[in-house]
Amino acid sequence: MTIIPILYLKSTLIASIQTELTDEEVLLFQSNLLKKNHKLNTKGVIIDVSTLDVIDSYMAKVLKDLTSMVKLQGSVFLLSGVKPAVSSTLVDMGMMLNNVETFLSLDQAFDYLSTKVQAKK
Amino acid sequence: MMNGMSPEVSEHVPICSTKDIVTARQKGRELAHCFKFSKGEQTRFATAISELTRNILTYADTGSCQFYVYTDKNYHTIMAKIIDHGPGIENPKLAMTDGYSSGNGLGLGLPGAKRLVHELSIKSEPGLTQIEITIRQKKY
Repeated sequence: MTIIPILYLKSTLIASIQTELTDEEVLLFQSNLLKKNHKLNTKGVIIDVSTLDVIDSYMAKVLKDLTSMVKLQGSVFLLSGVKPAVSSTLVDMGMMLNNVETFLSLDQAFDYLSTKVQAKK
Repeated sequence: MMNGMSPEVSEHVPICSTKDIVTARQKGRELAHCFKFSKGEQTRFATAISELTRNILTYADTGSCQFYVYTDKNYHTIMAKIIDHGPGIENPKLAMTDGYSSGNGLGLGLPGAKRLVHELSIKSEPGLTQIEITIRQKKY
């Protein structure tokens, strides 16, 4: 099983998905992320997919769900680095990921969190 | 088959677990890459394979994904044939309708996949479902 490392930096959880995951691995990642976020009470969670070539409807659904789940935990969920080919594929399939907050790069997502989102006391 | 031509490349990926979905879509992407399809086409083809092979696991447990590459004077054509021996698609026309789903998926499967490739054809009866997707590109 591939385990995606989840890093904690300045009240933010950061994970980069760089290899293609099986459905089970995606679900394991989802639950690890939620557990860690629950424990650390972060401002936000950023997932970077800038090296991922395929996001299919399953993965897209997990990302969509994560947005709601992380929100329920009181944090903000951000997605960064969606490749051009991936974005056009998702839209053609009808998976708009409308409720997911996205950024072009991890850098921008992190900037947004540090400047626009207030830290919880 | 393509007008009785024999394929330049043929590969076969059995689909039994979600790991095989990843293997099949990687193989599809690799072939598209080898024959110089654009990055966008590679991703779209791989994503379509991912959707269709996942259907196998949802509806039929096991099946296979076969790849054939044909090259003629003008075109490279890659075909992925996704085969299972499940209950079959009762109404293929209905199954191609946006938003329709009989499983617990997202209802994007077939119509979603169709929009990602140049051609998608379905042959289905109880015990044998065969879906062919094709991408084609002019030779340079």
